Amino acid sequence: MASDSSPVNFNTGPSSPDDSFSSPIGNTVSSSGDGFRRRSRRRSSTPSEMATPPRQRARMVSSETTPTAKEPRSRRRGGGRRASGSEAPPVAATPSSTDDIPPSTEPGDGDDMDEDHPTFVWGTNISVDDVKGAIIRFLRHFRDRQASQSEGDFHTEGKYAEVIKRVLEIEGDSLDVDAQDLFNYDTDLYTKMVRYPLEVLAIFDIVLMEMVPQINPLFEKHIQTRIFNLKTSTSMRNLNPSDIERMVSLKGMIIRCSSIIPEIREAIFRCLVCGYYTDPLAIERGRITEPTICLKEECQARNSMTLVHNRCRFADKQIVRLQETPDEIPEGGTPHTVSLLMHDRLVDTGKPGDRVEVTGIYRAMSVRVGPTQRTVKSLFKTYIDCLHIKKTDKSRMVAEDLTEAENRLGGNVDDLSFDEAKVEELKELSKKPDIYDRLTRSLAPNIWELDDVKKGLLCQLFGGNALKLASGASFRGDINILLVGDPGTSKSQLLQYIHKLSPRGIYTSGRGSSAVGLTAYVTKDPETGETVLESGALVLSDRGICCIDEFDKMSENARSMLHEVMEQQTVSIAKAGIVASLNARTSVLACANPSGSRYNPRLSVIDNIHLPPTLLSRFDLIYLILDKADEQTDRRLAKHIVSLHFDNPEGIEQDFLDLHTLTSYVSYARKNIHPKLSDEAAEELTRGYVELRRRGNFPGSSKKVITATPRQIESLIRLSEALARIRFSEWVEKGDVLESFRLLEVAMQQSATDHSTGTIDMDLITTGVSASERMRRESLLSATRNIIMEKMQLGGPSMRLAELLDELKKKNPDNEVHLNNLRNAVSTLASEGFVAIHGDNVKRI
Amino acid sequence: MVGLPYDFLVNPLGAVRSTFEKAISSGSNPASFDGKDWGALEPFQHFLFDQNGLSKVPILNASSVKWVQPNTLVRFRGMIQDMLGNEFYVGAYKDGSTWKTTKFMDSSQCPAGFSPDMRIWERRLLYCVPVPGQNSWTESSRLGEMNHSAEGTSENRQKRCRMDENAADHMDLLAPSDELQNYSGGKKLKDEQLSPGLQSQNISTVATSSLSTVCNASRGFLPCLVKIYDTEESELKLNDVFEFIGVITLGTEHKVDKDDYDEFSNGLSEDLSFQFPPDMVPRLHCVIHRKLAVHDFLHTYHVLEPTTHQIKEIRTALLNHLTVALGNDGVAAHFLLLHLLSKVHARVDSMAVGKLSLNLTGFNRESMSIFGNQLRLTVKSLLPFTEYIPLTVEYLNTASLAPKKDYEINRLVPGVLQLAEGSHLMIDETQLEVGTLSSLGVENARLLKNLMELQKVEYDFKYYKMDMTTDVQLLILSEGKSNILPADLVVPFQPSSVGSSAITDMDALEAWRWYLSNVRSLPHSIETEMQQVVENDLVAAKQADRNLGSQDLSRLLTIGRLISASYGETCLSLEHWQMVKELERLRRERLR
Repeated sequence: MASDSSPVNFNTGPSSPDDSFSSPIGNTVSSSGDGFRRRSRRRSSTPSEMATPPRQRARMVSSETTPTAKEPRSRRRGGGRRASGSEAPPVAATPSSTDDIPPSTEPGDGDDMDEDHPTFVWGTNISVDDVKGAIIRFLRHFRDRQASQSEGDFHTEGKYAEVIKRVLEIEGDSLDVDAQDLFNYDTDLYTKMVRYPLEVLAIFDIVLMEMVPQINPLFEKHIQTRIFNLKTSTSMRNLNPSDIERMVSLKGMIIRCSSIIPEIREAIFRCLVCGYYTDPLAIERGRITEPTICLKEECQARNSMTLVHNRCRFADKQIVRLQETPDEIPEGGTPHTVSLLMHDRLVDTGKPGDRVEVTGIYRAMSVRVGPTQRTVKSLFKTYIDCLHIKKTDKSRMVAEDLTEAENRLGGNVDDLSFDEAKVEELKELSKKPDIYDRLTRSLAPNIWELDDVKKGLLCQLFGGNALKLASGASFRGDINILLVGDPGTSKSQLLQYIHKLSPRGIYTSGRGSSAVGLTAYVTKDPETGETVLESGALVLSDRGICCIDEFDKMSENARSMLHEVMEQQTVSIAKAGIVASLNARTSVLACANPSGSRYNPRLSVIDNIHLPPTLLSRFDLIYLILDKADEQTDRRLAKHIVSLHFDNPEGIEQDFLDLHTLTSYVSYARKNIHPKLSDEAAEELTRGYVELRRRGNFPGSSKKVITATPRQIESLIRLSEALARIRFSEWVEKGDVLESFRLLEVAMQQSATDHSTGTIDMDLITTGVSASERMRRESLLSATRNIIMEKMQLGGPSMRLAELLDELKKKNPDNEVHLNNLRNAVSTLASEGFVAIHGDNVKRI
Repeated sequence: MVGLPYDFLVNPLGAVRSTFEKAISSGSNPASFDGKDWGALEPFQHFLFDQNGLSKVPILNASSVKWVQPNTLVRFRGMIQDMLGNEFYVGAYKDGSTWKTTKFMDSSQCPAGFSPDMRIWERRLLYCVPVPGQNSWTESSRLGEMNHSAEGTSENRQKRCRMDENAADHMDLLAPSDELQNYSGGKKLKDEQLSPGLQSQNISTVATSSLSTVCNASRGFLPCLVKIYDTEESELKLNDVFEFIGVITLGTEHKVDKDDYDEFSNGLSEDLSFQFPPDMVPRLHCVIHRKLAVHDFLHTYHVLEPTTHQIKEIRTALLNHLTVALGNDGVAAHFLLLHLLSKVHARVDSMAVGKLSLNLTGFNRESMSIFGNQLRLTVKSLLPFTEYIPLTVEYLNTASLAPKKDYEINRLVPGVLQLAEGSHLMIDETQLEVGTLSSLGVENARLLKNLMELQKVEYDFKYYKMDMTTDVQLLILSEGKSNILPADLVVPFQPSSVGSSAITDMDALEAWRWYLSNVRSLPHSIETEMQQVVENDLVAAKQADRNLGSQDLSRLLTIGRLISASYGETCLSLEHWQMVKELERLRRERLR
C-alpha cells in the first residue's frame, strides 16, 4: 500500500506553493499513516465512494471559498489536491501537472471533469464537497469570540489552526474539536456531522491530512479528529433505533474494561510454495480474506498462502461498558448499560468506577446465527464507536492528591458546569423575596420546628468567605455547628440530610472514629514498601462538611485532633518519615447527646455534655435541641401524623425545592458568589458587637459576665456572608448582619444562658463556669469557713460533712446547698491548709 | 380468519401477521409503526378478556414447558428479577415487494446488513422468575380449568399432576420439619434456584449448566426471558409481579459453540443464549401483560363483595384460628392479624407509612419447635408468598441478602431480600447464638434493619448502592426483644395451651385468604371529629410519656387503620380507636 501511494505524494508534495520545504520522504510516510487511519476508524468508506469525490473536491473547495476566502487561494487548493491524491490511491492517476496549473484555470478544469458526477454522501443529498469546504472554512477561520474582538481578524490565525500547530509540536495524534464551536460557526455543518458522523468525520480527516503537510511536511503521524461537547447529551435510556449511525453524547460510569485486544489492520501473506509475500491486505468488514491462489504469476499455487504474523499490523482495541449514573435511573428500574469501542489512544483512558462523558457514534451490528454461518438473526448488537472521552464529576471524587484537588477546585470551574438555563432558573429563584424562608423550609422538610437550627445549617451549607492575609494569617470561612439534644429529636436525621446535600462530605459516627480515621494516617504500600498518606474523613471532606454523629462518644484522643482542624483547617502529621500538613478546610457539623441520657436543664451545657471548653468555643453555633414538654408542639406533631395516615399524604406537600435544585443552588452559590462586607454592614457589626459586650456589664454589679468574644465576631462575619450568599448577593447588607446576630443570639440563648440568672454568659462556653456560679461558689466557701471557725477548735474533734451541711442550712435557710457543693468548698479549704479531710470527717488544723 | 379462538392459541403469529398485512394494505407505512402497535393487540385483548380466552391459555411453568408447543400462546406469571436492557431487531422488512414483520418472533430470514427497506425496532428484555416464596397452593389454582386445546388431555393431566408433586416436594424441602434433617442443604438448594445468575458465572463449564438444568427442572423453578414490546418504561418495575401473555419460543436460538467464543462480540453485549440457554430459559414474546396483585393468586374470586357482616364473621373465624395456632394467646393473635393485614400505603420522605412489623418475644427452643412451626405453616397457608429465614451467625456471615450486580455477566444476582410486593418474611432469631460477625454479616444485619425501619433494600451496584423500596411484612420470633431487628411492635408471646392448627375447612381457608388479600387494600379516612379525638389522645400520651417518639404515635394510627380495615370499614370509629388503646395497654402490661 505504501509503495502504491507514494508516487502520488511525490508529485503533490512539492507542488504546494506555500510549502517552504518539500520533502518527499515526509509525504511517503504520511500516506501510509493515512492508510492506517482509514482502516483504524473502520469507517464504512468503500473504495468507490471515496475514490470519486477527491477529484472534484479540489475544485469545489476552491470555487466555494473564492468569495469569502481571504487567504491565498492557492494554498488551500494545493492542500485539497494533495489530500485527494493521497486519500484515493486508486485514482492516483491525477496527473501531476494539474497541480501546477495556475489557480485561474482551476474552476474550468474541474467543471470539465466533474460536472456530470456530483458526489453525495451515500443515501443523502449532502454534497461531499460542500461539507469539505465548510470544514476547511471552520478549521481555518473559526476564532473564539473574545480573541477575534481583541485582535485583528487577518493577523491572528483561527483557533484550530493554532491548535493544529500545537498538536504538531507535541507530536500528538488527535485534534479535539469542540462541537459547540462548530455549532456556533456553522450550524448546518454541525447538524450534518451529528446526522452523518461517519461521512463527515472522514472528510474532516481528509481535510486535516491536507493541512498538516503544509505546516510541517515532516510530520509523520496521522491526526484524528475527536469531537466532544455536543450540544445535546442523550440519556442512555433514550437511545433508540433512530439514533443508530448518529453521533451521540452520553454520560455514565465505566463498569468494566476488557483486556486490550490487538486487532489486525493489515495482513501480509506468504506463499508456502514460492515464498512470495503479498502486499498488505486491509480488513474489509472486519474480516481479511485469505487469498486462495498465490498472486505471483509464475507460481499460482492453490491454498498455499499463510499469514505472516510479525509483518502484520495490529492496533489496540478495547471494549468498555458504560452504565447509567444512579441519578438517571427511574424508580424501580435497573441501570442500563452500553458498550463502548475504544481504539488506539482511547484505550485505557478510563478505569472502572470513573464517571465519564463520551462522544461517539451509535452503531448496530447484526448478530450472526452461528460463527460459520452467513445468515444473520434479526437482532442487532449495539455499541458506541467512541470518539472522545471526558472524565466528569470530579467534584464528587475523592481527593487522592491534595494539590490536584486544589487545582481542580480553583482553576477548573467548568467541572460542575451549570448550563445557562439552569443558572437563569437559580438566579430567578434567588430573586424571590422569601428565598431564605423557602430554603429553610426545603431543608429536611420532614423535620418540624427547629427553624432556627435549620437556618444555622443553611448558613453552614453556604459558608462564609475564607480569608488569607498577606501576612499568612488565615481566617476560615467554614461554619462549625454543634447540636446537642435529647435522644429522639431527629439530630441524626438532620445530619444525614446535610450530608446528602453538601457538595462533598463524610458522615462518621463518633464512636467508630479514631483520630487517624478522622485525620490522616501513614501506611506502607504493600507492594512498593513506600510510605503512603491515607486521608481520613476530615481531609476527605476538604471544602465540604464533615458530619460527626455521637460527638460525645468520641475518644478523647480523637477529639483533640479536632482542635487544629476546626480553627487552622489543616491536619499536621509527623510520622514515619512523613511530615505533612494537609488541608482540611471543612465545616464540622457534630451532634452530641447530653451525658445523662437526657438534658438536665439545671446544669450548664458544659456539665451536660462532657466536652472540653476549648473545643466547644470553636463551634460558631451551638444549638440545644430539647424535647420540651410543649403541648403546642405535640399537637402539631399529632396533627401531622394523623394527616400522614390519610389516603393522600401528597396533599400535605408544600412548595419546597427538591433536593436536586437545592444542591445545585448551594453549589452554584458556593462557587460563584463571594460577598463582601458593605460599609453599612461593617458598621452594624461593630455596633452590635460592642452592644453585645456591654450587655455583660450590669451597672452596679460586681459580676463580670462575658457575653461575646472575638471569636463571636468572626462567626458573625461568616454568618452574614453566608446569608448574603443565600440571596446570591455580592454585598453583605445590614439585614444580613442583623439576621446573623439573631441567629447567634438564639444559639447562645440556648447554650450559653446561665440557667441561674437567665443572662448570656460566654464564660460558660469558654471556661465552663458561669460568672454567677463562681459567685455562688465563693459565697459558699466563705460561709463554710465561718461555720468551721465558729464550731470547731483547732485540733479539736472532727465533724461530719452532713452535720456541717445542717449547720449551713440553719444559717442560710433560703439558700439551697448540696452536699456535693459543700464537699467542693471543703476541699478548697483543705487545699488552703485550713482543714483536713478524712473520708467524711472534717478536722480543723 | 381473525377472531377464531384457536387461531390465537395455537397460531398467535398468524394473527399478528394478518393484522400487519391488513394495516399495510390499508396504506400505512411501516415507518409509522415505529414503537407503536399497528392494531395487533386489539384482537388479542378481545379474545383474552372479552371472550374469556384467558383461562384457555396454558400457564408456563416447569412442567408445562415440556409439552408446550413453540410459537403458541402461553402465559407466565412471575416477578421481574432483572432488566437486561433493550434489544434492537429488524421489526419489518421488505421481502421482494411485500412488507413482512418479525415482531413477536425470535429470528427470521431477513437480509443481512442495513437497507432502507428495513425498520429497526426495539424491545425490552426482562428476566422473570417465579415469585420468590410462592406457596404451592397458589399454583394449583388453575387445576380445575384444564385447557383442552393443544395436546392430549390425559398427558396434560399427568404432567400437571407431576408438577404438583414437584411443587409439594419443593415445599417440603423448605420446611424445617423433623423428617428433613439437613435443612441447610435444602436451603442451599433453594438459594441456588433463586440465583441462576450465580450459576451462570460458571458458564464456561458445560457441566455446571447441565447440572443446573436438572436442578431447575426438578425443583419446579422456571425462569423466563420476557421480551416486551412498545411499553412505557415506568409501567414495568423491578420486583413487580406480572402476568405475561405472549408467544413462546423454545430452543430456536442456536447455541453458541464454545470453541467459537468470540471475545469481541461477546464483549459488546452479553450473549443471552449463552447465559440463558434457550432450552432452560424459554423466551416469551409478550403480547399483553398485566400486573398481578396478591389476590390474583387466589383460587376463587368472590364475585360478590361480602357484606360487612360476613367480613366480621370471617374475621372472627380467622382470629380464632390464629389464637389456636398461638396457643390461646389472644393478644398475640390480634396483633398477628393486624400484622398480616399491614401494607405500605404511602411513603413520606423516608418514612413508610402503614408498615407494621411484629416481634413476638418469649420463644425458646421448645416453644419454637411447637409454635414456631405451627405459625409458619399457618402463615404459609394464608398468604401466597412467604419466606423464612432462620437467623444464625453463620447465616448472616454467608448469605447474600441483598441483590448484587455482577458486572462480569452483567446480571443482577438475586438476594434473599429481593422479594415481591406483599411478601411475608418470617425471621427466626431463636437460633442466634453468640458469635462474631464478619463484615458481610454486619452488612447483612444492617440490611435487615433498614428493611425493617424503612422498607427499603439496598441493592449493591458495586460502585454505588441503590435503595429499592419494598413492601414486605416482617415477623420476628425471638427470645427477648430483638435488637438487631427493631420491629414496630414487640409483643411478649404467652401461650397457655397447645392446640392443633390443622385446617380442615377448605372453604374457610379460601375465605381467609380472600379476606387477607382484599381487606388490606381498603381505603381509609378519619373524620374530623375523630381526628380531634385522636390528636388529643396522642398529645396526652406524649405528655404522659416523654419517651414516646413520632414513630410510636404513628404506629398507633397504623394499628387504628388496620383494626378498622379488619372489620371491613373504611373509616376510623371511636370504638376501634378505643380498641387500639386497649390493645396497646395490654401490650405494655406484658412488656413490664
